[in-house]
Amino acid sequence: MEYSSEVVRRFDSPDGAGELPRGTSGLVSGEAEDRTLQVWVRFQLQVTDGVIHCARFRVFGCPHTVAAASRVAEWLTGRAVESARTLDVAAIGAELGVPVEKLGKLLRIEDALERCLVELDHRDV
Amino acid sequence: MREIYLDYAASSPVDPAVIDAMRESLERDYANPASLHAPGRRAHAAIEAARVAVAARIDAPAREVVFTSGATEANNLALKGVIEAAGLRGAHLVTSKIEHKSVLDPARVLAAAGATVTYVDCERDGRVDPERIAAAIGPATALVSLQLVNNETGAIQDIASVAAVCRGRGVPLHVDAAQAVGKLPLSVRGLGIDLCSLSAHKVCGPKGVGALFVARGVRLRPQQSGGEQERSLRAGTEATHQIVGMGKAFELADPAREAPGLEALRDRLWSGLERIGDVRRNGSTAHRAPHLLNVSFPGVEGESLRFALRDLAVSAGSACAAASPEASHVLVGMGLGEALAASSLRFSVGRFTTEEEIDLAAARVAEEVARLRSLAPTPPVWCSV
Repeated sequence: MEYSSEVVRRFDSPDGAGELPRGTSGLVSGEAEDRTLQVWVRFQLQVTDGVIHCARFRVFGCPHTVAAASRVAEWLTGRAVESARTLDVAAIGAELGVPVEKLGKLLRIEDALERCLVELDHRDV
Repeated sequence: MREIYLDYAASSPVDPAVIDAMRESLERDYANPASLHAPGRRAHAAIEAARVAVAARIDAPAREVVFTSGATEANNLALKGVIEAAGLRGAHLVTSKIEHKSVLDPARVLAAAGATVTYVDCERDGRVDPERIAAAIGPATALVSLQLVNNETGAIQDIASVAAVCRGRGVPLHVDAAQAVGKLPLSVRGLGIDLCSLSAHKVCGPKGVGALFVARGVRLRPQQSGGEQERSLRAGTEATHQIVGMGKAFELADPAREAPGLEALRDRLWSGLERIGDVRRNGSTAHRAPHLLNVSFPGVEGESLRFALRDLAVSAGSACAAASPEASHVLVGMGLGEALAASSLRFSVGRFTTEEEIDLAAARVAEEVARLRSLAPTPPVWCSV
Protein backbone atom coordinates (compact mmCIF):
# COMPACT_ATOMS: atom_id res chain seq x y z
CA MET A 1 0.00 0.00 0.00
CA GLU A 2 1.27 3.45 -0.94
CA TYR A 3 1.20 6.34 1.53
CA SER A 4 2.13 9.81 0.29
CA SER A 5 4.20 12.05 2.53
CA GLU A 6 1.08 14.19 3.14
CA VAL A 7 -0.91 11.14 4.22
CA VAL A 8 1.92 10.15 6.55
CA ARG A 9 2.13 13.65 8.01
CA ARG A 10 -1.60 13.94 8.61
CA PHE A 11 -1.90 10.37 9.94
CA ASP A 12 0.92 10.94 12.41
CA SER A 13 -0.54 14.28 13.47
CA PRO A 14 -4.20 14.47 12.47
CA ASP A 15 -5.17 18.11 12.93
CA GLY A 16 -8.87 18.51 13.58
CA ALA A 17 -9.28 15.20 15.40
CA GLY A 18 -11.43 15.42 18.49
CA GLU A 19 -14.75 16.81 19.60
CA LEU A 20 -16.21 20.22 20.20
CA PRO A 21 -17.20 20.89 23.81
CA ARG A 22 -20.72 19.95 24.77
CA GLY A 23 -22.93 23.03 24.61
CA THR A 24 -20.94 24.74 21.85
CA SER A 25 -23.28 27.15 20.11
CA GLY A 26 -24.22 26.37 16.50
CA LEU A 27 -23.11 22.73 16.78
CA VAL A 28 -24.26 20.15 14.22
CA SER A 29 -23.00 16.63 13.79
CA GLY A 30 -23.31 13.73 11.41
CA GLU A 31 -21.84 10.29 11.09
CA ALA A 32 -21.52 7.57 8.49
CA GLU A 33 -20.07 4.07 8.36
CA ASP A 34 -19.44 1.10 6.13
CA ARG A 35 -18.89 -2.04 8.10
CA THR A 36 -17.73 -3.98 5.07
CA LEU A 37 -15.04 -1.39 4.40
CA GLN A 38 -14.27 -1.09 8.13
CA VAL A 39 -14.76 2.65 8.29
CA TRP A 40 -16.73 4.93 10.62
CA VAL A 41 -16.61 8.73 10.62
CA ARG A 42 -18.30 11.42 12.70
CA PHE A 43 -18.01 15.12 11.93
CA GLN A 44 -18.99 18.07 14.11
CA LEU A 45 -19.28 21.57 12.76
CA GLN A 46 -19.72 24.85 14.60
CA VAL A 47 -21.80 27.03 12.29
CA THR A 48 -22.93 30.57 12.90
CA ASP A 49 -24.19 33.09 10.38
CA GLY A 50 -23.72 30.65 7.54
CA VAL A 51 -20.02 30.17 8.22
CA ILE A 52 -18.25 27.05 9.56
CA HIS A 53 -16.03 28.32 12.34
CA CYS A 54 -14.69 24.99 13.46
CA ALA A 55 -14.73 21.36 12.27
CA ARG A 56 -13.81 18.31 14.31
CA PHE A 57 -13.88 14.61 13.49
CA ARG A 58 -13.74 11.15 15.01
CA VAL A 59 -12.62 8.28 12.82
CA PHE A 60 -12.13 4.52 12.82
CA GLY A 61 -10.40 3.86 9.56
CA CYS A 62 -7.24 3.33 7.57
CA PRO A 63 -4.41 5.91 7.42
CA HIS A 64 -5.80 7.37 4.19
CA THR A 65 -9.20 7.92 5.77
CA VAL A 66 -7.65 9.53 8.85
CA ALA A 67 -5.55 11.84 6.67
CA ALA A 68 -8.49 12.73 4.42
CA ALA A 69 -10.72 13.49 7.42
CA SER A 70 -8.02 15.80 8.76
CA ARG A 71 -7.69 17.57 5.40
CA VAL A 72 -11.47 17.93 5.09
CA ALA A 73 -11.69 19.43 8.59
CA GLU A 74 -9.07 21.96 7.60
CA TRP A 75 -10.80 22.67 4.26
CA LEU A 76 -14.14 23.28 6.00
CA THR A 77 -12.86 25.66 8.65
CA GLY A 78 -13.73 29.29 7.83
CA ARG A 79 -15.76 28.27 4.79
CA ALA A 80 -19.32 29.39 4.00
CA VAL A 81 -21.85 26.58 4.37
CA GLU A 82 -22.94 26.90 0.75
CA SER A 83 -19.36 26.44 -0.33
CA ALA A 84 -19.00 23.40 1.97
CA ARG A 85 -21.80 21.73 0.05
CA THR A 86 -19.46 21.54 -2.92
CA LEU A 87 -16.94 19.36 -1.09
CA ASP A 88 -15.48 16.82 -3.49
CA VAL A 89 -13.83 14.16 -1.38
CA ALA A 90 -12.45 12.46 -4.48
CA ALA A 91 -10.51 15.65 -5.23
CA ILE A 92 -9.24 15.70 -1.64
CA GLY A 93 -8.18 12.07 -2.09
CA ALA A 94 -6.36 12.91 -5.31
CA GLU A 95 -4.63 15.86 -3.61
CA LEU A 96 -3.39 13.52 -0.88
CA GLY A 97 -2.40 10.79 -3.31
CA VAL A 98 -4.91 8.30 -1.91
CA PRO A 99 -5.13 5.13 -4.04
CA VAL A 100 -8.40 4.92 -5.98
CA GLU A 101 -9.38 1.66 -4.26
CA LYS A 102 -9.69 3.65 -1.03
CA LEU A 103 -12.26 6.07 -2.48
CA GLY A 104 -15.18 4.07 -1.07
CA LYS A 105 -13.86 4.68 2.44
CA LEU A 106 -13.33 8.39 1.79
CA LEU A 107 -16.92 8.76 0.57
CA ARG A 108 -18.10 8.05 4.12
CA ILE A 109 -16.51 11.38 5.06
CA GLU A 110 -18.70 13.04 2.45
CA ASP A 111 -21.74 11.19 3.84
CA ALA A 112 -20.99 12.34 7.40
CA LEU A 113 -20.61 15.93 6.26
CA GLU A 114 -23.85 15.72 4.28
CA ARG A 115 -25.64 14.62 7.47
CA CYS A 116 -24.18 17.62 9.29
CA LEU A 117 -25.58 19.90 6.61
CA VAL A 118 -28.98 18.19 6.67
CA GLU A 119 -29.13 18.78 10.43
CA LEU A 120 -28.15 22.37 9.83
CA ASP A 121 -30.91 22.80 7.22
CA HIS A 122 -33.48 21.40 9.68
CA ARG A 123 -32.20 23.68 12.42
CA ASP A 124 -32.39 26.74 10.25
CA VAL A 125 -35.93 26.07 8.99
CA MET B 1 13.83 5.24 16.26
CA ARG B 2 15.81 2.00 16.40
CA GLU B 3 14.55 -0.97 14.47
CA ILE B 4 13.00 -3.69 16.59
CA TYR B 5 12.57 -7.07 14.94
CA LEU B 6 9.80 -9.23 16.36
CA ASP B 7 8.94 -11.18 13.24
CA TYR B 8 10.99 -14.36 13.62
CA ALA B 9 8.02 -16.49 12.59
CA ALA B 10 8.14 -14.80 9.18
CA SER B 11 11.90 -15.07 8.79
CA SER B 12 14.86 -14.81 11.10
CA PRO B 13 18.32 -13.22 11.07
CA VAL B 14 20.90 -15.68 9.82
CA ASP B 15 23.14 -16.87 12.64
CA PRO B 16 26.80 -15.84 12.16
CA ALA B 17 27.84 -19.49 12.52
CA VAL B 18 25.51 -20.35 9.64
CA ILE B 19 26.98 -17.57 7.51
CA ASP B 20 30.48 -18.90 8.21
CA ALA B 21 29.46 -22.44 7.26
CA MET B 22 27.81 -21.23 4.05
CA ARG B 23 30.79 -19.07 3.09
CA GLU B 24 33.14 -21.99 3.57
CA SER B 25 30.84 -24.20 1.54
CA LEU B 26 30.61 -21.68 -1.29
CA GLU B 27 34.39 -21.63 -1.49
CA ARG B 28 34.91 -25.36 -1.00
CA ASP B 29 31.87 -27.13 -2.45
CA TYR B 30 31.77 -25.60 -5.91
CA ALA B 31 31.60 -28.91 -7.77
CA ASN B 32 28.44 -30.73 -8.75
CA PRO B 33 27.61 -33.10 -5.89
CA ALA B 34 26.56 -35.74 -8.41
CA SER B 35 30.07 -35.86 -9.92
CA LEU B 36 32.30 -38.77 -9.00
CA HIS B 37 35.57 -36.81 -8.92
CA ALA B 38 37.08 -35.59 -5.66
CA PRO B 39 35.59 -32.08 -5.66
CA GLY B 40 32.18 -33.59 -6.44
CA ARG B 41 32.52 -36.09 -3.60
CA ARG B 42 33.42 -33.22 -1.31
CA ALA B 43 30.22 -31.37 -2.18
CA HIS B 44 28.25 -34.59 -1.81
CA ALA B 45 29.74 -35.19 1.64
CA ALA B 46 28.77 -31.67 2.73
CA ILE B 47 25.17 -32.33 1.72
CA GLU B 48 25.10 -35.66 3.52
CA ALA B 49 26.51 -34.11 6.69
CA ALA B 50 23.73 -31.51 6.57
CA ARG B 51 21.17 -34.24 5.99
CA VAL B 52 22.35 -35.97 9.16
CA ALA B 53 22.03 -32.72 11.14
CA VAL B 54 18.52 -32.03 9.83
CA ALA B 55 17.42 -35.61 10.46
CA ALA B 56 18.84 -35.53 13.99
CA ARG B 57 16.76 -32.46 14.87
CA ILE B 58 13.51 -34.28 13.97
CA ASP B 59 14.64 -37.75 15.06
CA ALA B 60 14.44 -39.26 11.59
CA PRO B 61 16.71 -41.52 9.58
CA ALA B 62 18.92 -39.27 7.43
CA ARG B 63 18.11 -41.15 4.22
CA GLU B 64 14.45 -40.13 4.61
CA VAL B 65 15.16 -36.39 4.39
CA VAL B 66 14.64 -34.79 0.96
CA PHE B 67 15.99 -31.28 0.47
CA THR B 68 13.72 -28.76 -1.25
CA SER B 69 13.69 -25.02 -1.86
CA GLY B 70 11.70 -24.43 1.34
CA ALA B 71 8.66 -25.52 3.32
CA THR B 72 6.30 -24.28 0.59
CA GLU B 73 7.84 -26.67 -1.92
CA ALA B 74 7.88 -29.40 0.72
CA ASN B 75 4.16 -28.90 1.36
CA ASN B 76 3.43 -28.94 -2.36
CA LEU B 77 5.48 -32.08 -2.83
CA ALA B 78 3.78 -33.82 0.08
CA LEU B 79 0.20 -32.99 -0.88
CA LYS B 80 0.42 -33.23 -4.65
CA GLY B 81 2.89 -36.09 -4.51
CA VAL B 82 0.76 -38.33 -2.29
CA ILE B 83 -2.63 -37.46 -3.79
CA GLU B 84 -1.35 -37.89 -7.36
CA ALA B 85 0.29 -41.21 -6.43
CA ALA B 86 -3.10 -42.27 -5.06
CA GLY B 87 -4.71 -41.63 -8.44
CA LEU B 88 -5.71 -37.97 -8.03
CA ARG B 89 -9.35 -38.19 -9.20
CA GLY B 90 -11.41 -39.28 -6.26
CA ALA B 91 -8.46 -39.37 -3.89
CA HIS B 92 -9.39 -37.68 -0.64
CA LEU B 93 -7.33 -35.18 1.37
CA VAL B 94 -8.19 -34.12 4.91
CA THR B 95 -6.73 -30.88 6.23
CA SER B 96 -7.87 -27.96 8.41
CA LYS B 97 -9.21 -24.50 7.61
CA ILE B 98 -6.36 -22.83 9.48
CA GLU B 99 -3.41 -24.26 7.58
CA HIS B 100 -0.74 -22.13 5.94
CA LYS B 101 -1.43 -20.90 2.41
CA SER B 102 1.22 -23.30 1.13
CA VAL B 103 -1.08 -26.17 2.15
CA LEU B 104 -4.44 -24.57 1.35
CA ASP B 105 -3.44 -23.52 -2.17
CA PRO B 106 -2.10 -26.93 -3.28
CA ALA B 107 -5.27 -28.44 -1.76
CA ARG B 108 -7.37 -26.13 -3.96
CA VAL B 109 -5.30 -27.08 -7.01
CA LEU B 110 -5.84 -30.77 -6.25
CA ALA B 111 -9.57 -30.24 -5.77
CA ALA B 112 -9.76 -28.46 -9.13
CA ALA B 113 -7.99 -31.45 -10.69
CA GLY B 114 -10.53 -33.95 -9.36
CA ALA B 115 -9.41 -34.82 -5.84
CA THR B 116 -11.78 -34.27 -2.94
CA VAL B 117 -10.72 -32.17 0.03
CA THR B 118 -12.26 -31.89 3.48
CA TYR B 119 -11.34 -28.78 5.49
CA VAL B 120 -11.84 -29.45 9.17
CA ASP B 121 -12.84 -26.61 11.53
CA CYS B 122 -10.74 -25.63 14.53
CA GLU B 123 -11.94 -24.83 18.04
CA ARG B 124 -11.98 -21.28 19.43
CA ASP B 125 -8.49 -21.79 20.86
CA GLY B 126 -7.08 -22.52 17.41
CA ARG B 127 -6.62 -26.23 18.00
CA VAL B 128 -8.09 -28.95 15.84
CA ASP B 129 -9.94 -31.70 17.68
CA PRO B 130 -8.48 -35.05 16.54
CA GLU B 131 -12.05 -36.39 16.63
CA ARG B 132 -12.90 -34.06 13.76
CA ILE B 133 -10.03 -35.54 11.75
CA ALA B 134 -11.21 -39.05 12.60
CA ALA B 135 -14.74 -38.18 11.49
CA ALA B 136 -13.48 -36.74 8.20
CA ILE B 137 -11.44 -39.79 7.19
CA GLY B 138 -13.22 -42.06 4.72
CA PRO B 139 -12.38 -45.05 2.54
CA ALA B 140 -10.84 -42.82 -0.17
CA THR B 141 -8.71 -40.73 2.21
CA ALA B 142 -5.15 -40.80 0.91
CA LEU B 143 -3.60 -38.18 3.18
CA VAL B 144 -4.18 -36.09 6.30
CA SER B 145 -2.22 -32.83 6.52
CA LEU B 146 -2.00 -30.74 9.69
CA GLN B 147 0.40 -28.12 11.02
CA LEU B 148 2.26 -28.88 14.22
CA VAL B 149 2.44 -25.22 15.28
CA ASN B 150 0.09 -22.69 13.77
CA ASN B 151 2.10 -19.90 12.17
CA GLU B 152 -0.27 -17.15 13.30
CA THR B 153 -1.27 -18.11 16.84
CA GLY B 154 1.41 -20.57 17.91
CA ALA B 155 -1.24 -23.11 18.90
CA ILE B 156 0.24 -26.60 19.05
CA GLN B 157 -1.89 -29.30 17.48
CA ASP B 158 -2.33 -32.68 19.11
CA ILE B 159 -0.30 -34.47 16.47
CA ALA B 160 0.22 -37.58 18.62
CA SER B 161 -3.53 -38.19 18.76
CA VAL B 162 -4.02 -37.36 15.09
CA ALA B 163 -1.16 -39.73 14.20
CA ALA B 164 -2.80 -42.47 16.23
CA VAL B 165 -6.06 -41.91 14.35
CA CYS B 166 -4.26 -41.99 11.01
CA ARG B 167 -2.29 -45.09 11.90
CA GLY B 168 -5.48 -46.85 12.95
CA ARG B 169 -7.12 -46.02 9.62
CA GLY B 170 -4.05 -46.71 7.48
CA VAL B 171 -3.81 -43.12 6.22
CA PRO B 172 -0.45 -41.33 5.92
CA LEU B 173 -0.03 -38.15 7.96
CA HIS B 174 1.76 -35.05 6.70
CA VAL B 175 2.81 -32.43 9.24
CA ASP B 176 4.00 -28.93 8.40
CA ALA B 177 6.54 -28.35 11.18
CA ALA B 178 8.08 -25.14 9.83
CA GLN B 179 7.21 -23.20 13.02
CA ALA B 180 8.02 -26.04 15.41
CA VAL B 181 11.68 -26.75 14.76
CA GLY B 182 13.93 -25.36 17.45
CA LYS B 183 10.92 -24.44 19.57
CA LEU B 184 9.61 -27.88 20.55
CA PRO B 185 11.24 -31.28 20.72
CA LEU B 186 10.19 -33.11 17.57
CA SER B 187 10.40 -36.81 16.88
CA VAL B 188 8.78 -37.91 13.65
CA ARG B 189 9.51 -41.51 14.65
CA GLY B 190 8.01 -41.07 18.10
CA LEU B 191 4.91 -39.29 16.84
CA GLY B 192 4.37 -41.58 13.86
CA ILE B 193 4.54 -38.84 11.22
CA ASP B 194 4.88 -40.02 7.61
CA LEU B 195 5.78 -36.73 5.95
CA CYS B 196 7.12 -33.58 7.60
CA SER B 197 7.85 -30.18 6.03
CA LEU B 198 10.76 -28.12 7.31
CA SER B 199 12.21 -24.68 6.66
CA ALA B 200 15.67 -23.25 7.31
CA HIS B 201 14.93 -19.53 7.46
CA LYS B 202 12.61 -19.81 10.47
CA VAL B 203 15.55 -21.06 12.56
CA CYS B 204 18.26 -18.52 11.73
CA GLY B 205 19.18 -20.32 8.54
CA PRO B 206 19.10 -19.11 4.93
CA LYS B 207 16.00 -18.60 2.79
CA GLY B 208 15.55 -20.81 -0.25
CA VAL B 209 16.10 -24.17 1.39
CA GLY B 210 13.89 -26.58 3.28
CA ALA B 211 13.22 -30.27 3.44
CA LEU B 212 10.53 -32.89 3.38
CA PHE B 213 10.85 -35.93 5.58
CA VAL B 214 9.37 -38.86 3.67
CA ALA B 215 9.10 -42.08 5.67
CA ARG B 216 10.11 -45.21 3.89
CA GLY B 217 7.16 -46.83 2.14
CA VAL B 218 5.20 -43.62 1.53
CA ARG B 219 4.19 -43.42 -2.14
CA LEU B 220 4.98 -40.02 -3.53
CA ARG B 221 4.95 -38.73 -7.10
CA PRO B 222 7.81 -36.30 -7.82
CA GLN B 223 6.71 -32.84 -8.89
CA GLN B 224 9.62 -32.13 -11.18
CA SER B 225 11.76 -34.20 -13.48
CA GLY B 226 15.25 -33.87 -14.87
CA GLY B 227 17.50 -35.79 -12.52
CA GLU B 228 17.73 -38.48 -9.89
CA GLN B 229 18.76 -36.25 -7.03
CA GLU B 230 17.14 -36.62 -3.61
CA ARG B 231 15.94 -40.21 -4.13
CA SER B 232 14.46 -39.06 -7.46
CA LEU B 233 11.90 -37.04 -5.50
CA ARG B 234 13.38 -33.64 -6.25
CA ALA B 235 15.24 -33.31 -9.52
CA GLY B 236 17.89 -30.62 -9.87
CA THR B 237 21.43 -30.01 -8.68
CA GLU B 238 21.30 -29.55 -4.93
CA ALA B 239 21.86 -26.00 -3.65
CA THR B 240 24.86 -27.19 -1.70
CA HIS B 241 25.72 -24.07 0.30
CA GLN B 242 22.05 -23.52 1.17
CA ILE B 243 21.76 -27.08 2.38
CA VAL B 244 24.95 -26.69 4.41
CA GLY B 245 23.44 -23.56 5.96
CA MET B 246 20.27 -25.45 6.83
CA GLY B 247 22.31 -28.23 8.41
CA LYS B 248 24.16 -25.75 10.60
CA ALA B 249 20.94 -23.92 11.50
CA PHE B 250 19.25 -27.17 12.53
CA GLU B 251 22.30 -28.19 14.53
CA LEU B 252 22.02 -24.93 16.49
CA ALA B 253 18.22 -24.97 16.85
CA ASP B 254 18.03 -26.85 20.11
CA PRO B 255 14.68 -26.33 21.87
CA ALA B 256 16.06 -27.50 25.21
CA ARG B 257 18.50 -24.59 25.12
CA GLU B 258 16.36 -21.93 23.46
CA ALA B 259 12.70 -22.49 24.35
CA PRO B 260 12.86 -21.33 28.00
CA GLY B 261 14.41 -18.00 27.01
CA LEU B 262 11.91 -17.49 24.19
CA GLU B 263 9.04 -18.26 26.51
CA ALA B 264 10.29 -15.72 29.05
CA LEU B 265 10.55 -13.03 26.36
CA ARG B 266 7.08 -13.83 25.02
CA ASP B 267 5.56 -13.68 28.51
CA ARG B 268 7.36 -10.42 29.25
CA LEU B 269 5.88 -8.96 26.08
CA TRP B 270 2.39 -10.16 26.99
CA SER B 271 2.73 -8.60 30.45
CA GLY B 272 3.60 -5.29 28.82
CA LEU B 273 0.76 -5.46 26.32
CA GLU B 274 -1.77 -6.61 28.90
CA ARG B 275 -1.18 -3.38 30.81
CA ILE B 276 -2.63 -1.42 27.84
CA GLY B 277 -6.05 -2.74 28.80
CA ASP B 278 -8.79 -4.21 26.60
CA VAL B 279 -6.43 -6.45 24.66
CA ARG B 280 -7.06 -10.06 23.75
CA ARG B 281 -4.59 -12.92 23.35
CA ASN B 282 -5.51 -15.32 20.56
CA GLY B 283 -4.87 -19.03 20.56
CA SER B 284 -4.48 -21.75 23.12
CA THR B 285 -2.64 -20.73 26.28
CA ALA B 286 -2.13 -24.31 27.43
CA HIS B 287 -0.71 -25.62 24.16
CA ARG B 288 1.39 -22.97 22.46
CA ALA B 289 4.82 -22.52 21.00
CA PRO B 290 7.25 -20.43 23.07
CA HIS B 291 8.06 -17.82 20.42
CA LEU B 292 4.66 -16.62 19.21
CA LEU B 293 2.12 -14.18 20.61
CA ASN B 294 -0.99 -13.10 18.74
CA VAL B 295 -2.90 -10.16 20.21
CA SER B 296 -6.04 -8.28 19.15
CA PHE B 297 -6.62 -4.63 20.00
CA PRO B 298 -10.39 -4.02 20.00
CA GLY B 299 -11.43 -0.62 18.67
CA VAL B 300 -8.23 -0.11 16.70
CA GLU B 301 -8.32 -0.27 12.92
CA GLY B 302 -5.88 -2.88 11.64
CA GLU B 303 -4.17 -1.05 8.79
CA SER B 304 -3.74 2.08 10.88
CA LEU B 305 -2.24 0.04 13.71
CA ARG B 306 0.28 -1.64 11.42
CA PHE B 307 1.17 1.64 9.75
CA ALA B 308 1.49 3.47 13.06
CA LEU B 309 3.90 0.75 14.20
CA ARG B 310 5.96 0.75 11.02
CA ASP B 311 9.15 1.10 13.06
CA LEU B 312 8.31 -2.21 14.71
CA ALA B 313 8.79 -5.35 12.63
CA VAL B 314 5.73 -7.44 13.47
CA SER B 315 3.17 -9.20 11.29
CA ALA B 316 -0.55 -9.05 10.78
CA GLY B 317 -1.23 -12.74 10.57
CA SER B 318 1.00 -14.63 8.20
CA ALA B 319 3.73 -12.60 6.49
CA CYS B 320 3.09 -14.55 3.31
CA ALA B 321 -0.37 -12.91 3.22
CA ALA B 322 0.63 -9.49 4.52
CA ALA B 323 -0.07 -7.73 1.20
CA SER B 324 -3.63 -9.01 1.28
CA PRO B 325 -6.23 -6.74 2.94
CA GLU B 326 -8.44 -9.63 4.06
CA ALA B 327 -8.52 -10.52 7.72
CA SER B 328 -6.58 -13.61 8.75
CA HIS B 329 -8.39 -16.84 7.80
CA VAL B 330 -6.94 -18.41 10.94
CA LEU B 331 -8.41 -15.82 13.33
CA VAL B 332 -11.73 -15.73 11.47
CA GLY B 333 -11.71 -19.54 11.60
CA MET B 334 -11.33 -19.27 15.38
CA GLY B 335 -14.48 -17.15 15.54
CA LEU B 336 -13.11 -13.60 15.62
CA GLY B 337 -15.08 -10.95 13.70
CA GLU B 338 -13.46 -9.20 10.75
CA ALA B 339 -12.58 -5.98 12.61
CA LEU B 340 -11.10 -7.76 15.61
CA ALA B 341 -9.14 -10.15 13.40
CA ALA B 342 -7.83 -7.20 11.39
CA SER B 343 -6.74 -5.44 14.59
CA SER B 344 -4.49 -8.37 15.51
CA LEU B 345 -0.71 -8.43 15.49
CA ARG B 346 1.59 -11.42 15.53
CA PHE B 347 4.73 -10.92 17.59
CA SER B 348 7.44 -13.55 17.33
CA VAL B 349 10.69 -13.57 19.25
CA GLY B 350 13.91 -15.36 18.48
CA ARG B 351 17.53 -16.04 19.25
CA PHE B 352 18.70 -12.43 19.14
CA THR B 353 15.71 -10.73 20.80
CA THR B 354 16.56 -8.83 23.98
CA GLU B 355 14.50 -7.84 27.01
CA GLU B 356 15.18 -4.20 26.19
CA GLU B 357 13.64 -4.68 22.74
CA ILE B 358 10.60 -6.35 24.29
CA ASP B 359 10.08 -3.43 26.69
CA LEU B 360 10.53 -0.85 23.92
CA ALA B 361 8.10 -2.73 21.68
CA ALA B 362 5.45 -2.95 24.40
CA ALA B 363 5.80 0.77 25.07
CA ARG B 364 5.50 1.65 21.37
CA VAL B 365 2.40 -0.51 20.95
CA ALA B 366 0.84 1.03 24.06
CA GLU B 367 1.53 4.52 22.74
CA GLU B 368 0.02 3.91 19.30
CA VAL B 369 -2.98 1.93 20.54
CA ALA B 370 -3.82 4.80 22.91
CA ARG B 371 -3.39 7.36 20.12
CA LEU B 372 -5.55 5.45 17.64
CA ARG B 373 -8.22 4.74 20.24
CA SER B 374 -8.32 8.46 21.01
CA LEU B 375 -9.35 9.08 17.38
CA ALA B 376 -12.54 7.10 18.03
CA PRO B 377 -13.09 6.70 21.78
CA THR B 378 -16.63 5.34 21.36
CA PRO B 379 -16.82 3.70 17.95
CA PRO B 380 -19.72 1.42 16.94
CA VAL B 381 -19.66 -2.04 18.53
CA TRP B 382 -18.68 -3.73 15.26
CA CYS B 383 -15.28 -1.98 15.40
CA SER B 384 -14.35 -4.13 18.40
CA VAL B 385 -15.67 -7.57 17.43
